[in-house]
Amino acid sequence: MNSKALKIVLPLLTGIVFVALWQFAAGRYTPEQLPAPVDVLKAIKELSDNGTLWGHIGISLARFSGAYLLAVTVAIPLGLFLGRFIRCHAAIDPLIQVLRPISPIAWFPLAVLWFGIGNAPAVFIIFLAAFYPVLLTTISAVRGVPEVYIKVAINFGAGSRMTFLRVIVPAAFPGIMVGLHIAVGTAWIHLVAGEMLGAQSGLGFMIVDARNFLRTDQILAGMLLIGVLGLAIYRGMKAFEHAIGRRWGVAS
Amino acid sequence: MSDSIPKIQLSSVEKRFISARGDEQVALSQLDLEIGSGEIVCLVGPSGCGKTTIINLMAGFEKPSNGTVHIDGKQVSGPDPDHIMIFQDYGLYPWRTVLGNVLFGLQAKGISSGEALDKAMAALELVGLTSSKYKHPHELSGGMKQRVSIARALAVEPSVLFMDEPFAALDAFTRLHLQDELLRIWQEKQPTIVFVTHDLDEAITLGQKVVLMAPNPGRVQRILDVKLPYPRERTENNFASFRKELFMEFHLVHRQALDGVEYQI
Repeated sequence: MNSKALKIVLPLLTGIVFVALWQFAAGRYTPEQLPAPVDVLKAIKELSDNGTLWGHIGISLARFSGAYLLAVTVAIPLGLFLGRFIRCHAAIDPLIQVLRPISPIAWFPLAVLWFGIGNAPAVFIIFLAAFYPVLLTTISAVRGVPEVYIKVAINFGAGSRMTFLRVIVPAAFPGIMVGLHIAVGTAWIHLVAGEMLGAQSGLGFMIVDARNFLRTDQILAGMLLIGVLGLAIYRGMKAFEHAIGRRWGVAS
Repeated sequence: MSDSIPKIQLSSVEKRFISARGDEQVALSQLDLEIGSGEIVCLVGPSGCGKTTIINLMAGFEKPSNGTVHIDGKQVSGPDPDHIMIFQDYGLYPWRTVLGNVLFGLQAKGISSGEALDKAMAALELVGLTSSKYKHPHELSGGMKQRVSIARALAVEPSVLFMDEPFAALDAFTRLHLQDELLRIWQEKQPTIVFVTHDLDEAITLGQKVVLMAPNPGRVQRILDVKLPYPRERTENNFASFRKELFMEFHLVHRQALDGVEYQI
């Protein structure tokens, strides 16, 4: 068997074994404790037919992309600035290092006090989850720009504006991409957490709502969809990264 | 040409560094050197003799602790687009194509895009890379990358080229080829070239003058005038006699350097 076929067959085999184990385990518990795979598929169909599913997915994606873009638009310019001005970085870095290990979830009580219930706390939490990875990778990408690139720019008489926009920013770009990539993952994980805590809509809320009615099949349906959507976003990001990499002449 | 002012003049140049341990080290001591306009001069010497420091001082990337560096009678105060440095690791921008890299210096000068394109293409023609103009640096061999960086320098028509071990990372065959290419370009454009190398054969192949340096502290040991016509036949008798002379002197310097180290211990 060639390697291309193996790449499809092997994961498929894992999937079949996983579903079989699940089915076997489900037989030993009540449907409230662990529903069978078919029940979960039925739950997805039911949620999709009555329309609630698409609403929840839509609002989750909107919150995710809005908060993510907001984090990126703040973190990249700030990171470029702090990467370039070493003294500012030295001043602010300790503060960042203290704030960063605080889980975005820990901000939740404050977020509710400040912003109330609704979109804002969830958006705030996703913002925090995406902000630090992008900020920190941008800073290190700027500081890691090879000295010789800057020497060449200065030698040819490039002004500070041209050196920044046309040497430092593009040179740091592959490093910034890594941060964008990490941030997609952390932001998506925290989206669900944020929605479980305070929102009245979205996939996270859908899971909490299903729990209140002991609809374990819908809980698992929500979890499965979160996983699949997360994978789709990750893949989309990879494709985008690859296209940029080719454009930049640093295809991996 | 003794009545005209030299192109590059170093007078009593001294460069001191504070090492990581906090003690002062003299990289260059009381160094005088004159380089004429349109000359090709090679700096050779064992590691630690300060040859890279000298070229950085002349190119304006570093400042002397004492003494002065003049180019065209003006004191060097920083890097200048008329004096372009070519680095061993090329310094090409990976996100730009070959043509884009060559255009960079012209764009920095603010030359209009049409004129810049003409100049860039002429420079690429000179190094024989017109057919690779839309490639990115990662698609090129080391020798081709260095030719791009030479083209980028030539495009802005500098009067001085500083080359800091530009061919040291290349394989022997490519190195010989690029030495011949450089001489062809030098004869056509007549820039002043200061070429740092640790390869004595390379120095004799290229240099009208070979400046042999000695370490601890960095200083000029000997200046050899290589009065051989170009192109130089590397296997010829005269070439061999210059080579022998330089090698003997180099061994002397090297022994002194080693003795110095033992003495310090």
